[in-house]
Amino acid sequence: MKVTRRQFFKISAGGLGSSSIAMLGFSPGEAQAEVRTFKLARSTETRNTCPYCSVSCGLIMHSLGDRAKNAESAIFHIEGDPDHPVNRGTLCPKGAGLVDFIHSENRLKYPEYRAPGSREWKRISWDEAFTRVARLMKDDRDKNFIAKNAAGVTVNRWVTTGFLAASASSNESGYITHKAIRSLGALAFDNQARV
Amino acid sequence: MSNEDQMLEPGQIEPPAGEIRFLFLAERDLFARRAERFRLLAPGHPLADYLSFLALLADAQQEALDSFPILPLPTLEERALCRDRDMPLLDARLRHRDRAWLEGLGLILRRMAGAEVPAAAREAAAGLLTCAECRLEDLADKILAGDQAAVPPPELPFVAAALQVYWVHMATALGEHAFARLEAGGVCPVCGSAPASGIVHANGSKQGLRYLSCSLCATQWHMVRLKCSSCEATEGIGYYSLEGTNGAVKAESCPDCNAYLKLLYLEKDGRMEATADDLATLALDMLMAEEGKVRGGPNLFLHPGGEVEEA
Repeated sequence: MKVTRRQFFKISAGGLGSSSIAMLGFSPGEAQAEVRTFKLARSTETRNTCPYCSVSCGLIMHSLGDRAKNAESAIFHIEGDPDHPVNRGTLCPKGAGLVDFIHSENRLKYPEYRAPGSREWKRISWDEAFTRVARLMKDDRDKNFIAKNAAGVTVNRWVTTGFLAASASSNESGYITHKAIRSLGALAFDNQARV
Repeated sequence: MSNEDQMLEPGQIEPPAGEIRFLFLAERDLFARRAERFRLLAPGHPLADYLSFLALLADAQQEALDSFPILPLPTLEERALCRDRDMPLLDARLRHRDRAWLEGLGLILRRMAGAEVPAAAREAAAGLLTCAECRLEDLADKILAGDQAAVPPPELPFVAAALQVYWVHMATALGEHAFARLEAGGVCPVCGSAPASGIVHANGSKQGLRYLSCSLCATQWHMVRLKCSSCEATEGIGYYSLEGTNGAVKAESCPDCNAYLKLLYLEKDGRMEATADDLATLALDMLMAEEGKVRGGPNLFLHPGGEVEEA
């Protein structure tokens, strides 16, 4: 239902000359001139979910720019989403510090490897990281997989390796993770989803 | 140390309530507080005289509201009917207006015709005083129907001021419980008018929540953030402020319908008032107009002159 007919005004510097301001005897000149000294700054507000734990608090992230153009968009503020039914705008101290987490110099941005006994972290490629993890998993599974228990019943267990998945995953990625890991026979499997 | 800088102790912080309160009616001292705000904004402002004039007009509105007679209110049947049919109970366009609004207008016009304001303003007020009632009713109908552009620019603020008093009176006489949420989130659940601006609150259980402020009855009703108040789209909403300011006032702009509405972030300045601070930040409107954007709601104290688009 359309309750009122809505007019969409433009309040333009040019229009002010015939506006209520001018027609009531006030000079809009200074306001019209002042506008030329200003520029617009654009920011964007985006809803997201806190990555830390399974409570999944709603966030509003404020960033500069419009994300569409070439300009780099920098997040400058994060607040709890006041409309979100889970947290109603509140955040725990970790969540409240999220903007520093994003801009932290110590933030991990690529895979690193520290060999046993070594004190050095060495940067490796994603390809190397995936290959190495898969290799170690396969070797361990080949060595320790339990197809049948003592009574000869098929159990297909792999209990020497555990898997910890992310907290902010969607339902769908949780389902896929579960399918992939369980079909390897892994029993020690959890999400980092505990406070 | 000013009030805003005071540190709160843990026990003083009001926890977020389970339910978001959807409606706040205007207080009975709305116009006095608005006048005070205009007086604070005026010194040094490029439109200082205009803002001072609006302070006097708000004083007159407060006087009219304080002396408003007791009027018959909608019956329980009417209230139930409006609830059932998703209609605003005090629909600005449909509801019969009691003649009392004309008494209020008379008082406002007499005050303004004798006030220390420019001759043009005094003459506009004096002219309306001698106007036939049917013309005044006609001007009122146009304003309430959302057709402010059809009202002569110098007359709009006076007639609108009287209508605001009438609607604030009726809404506060009924009380909050009389009104229900409407399906259309962008219009006032009390009178069906468009908002003048939005307020993002800073304190207590309202912290961070956005309420739209009615251009007519100053009712504040809840609308979730990051949503266009004109077309209720949620994609690609942009926020524009004047470069170099603290971002207390931002224009929330929708790429879908091309409309924007100003939001006042009380966290940055707790003294802001929906109507007064809207008019004190016209520079933002003028820059938005240069970007080709249109306002999603009117301020009844300003006929903007120039072009007007219909929707």
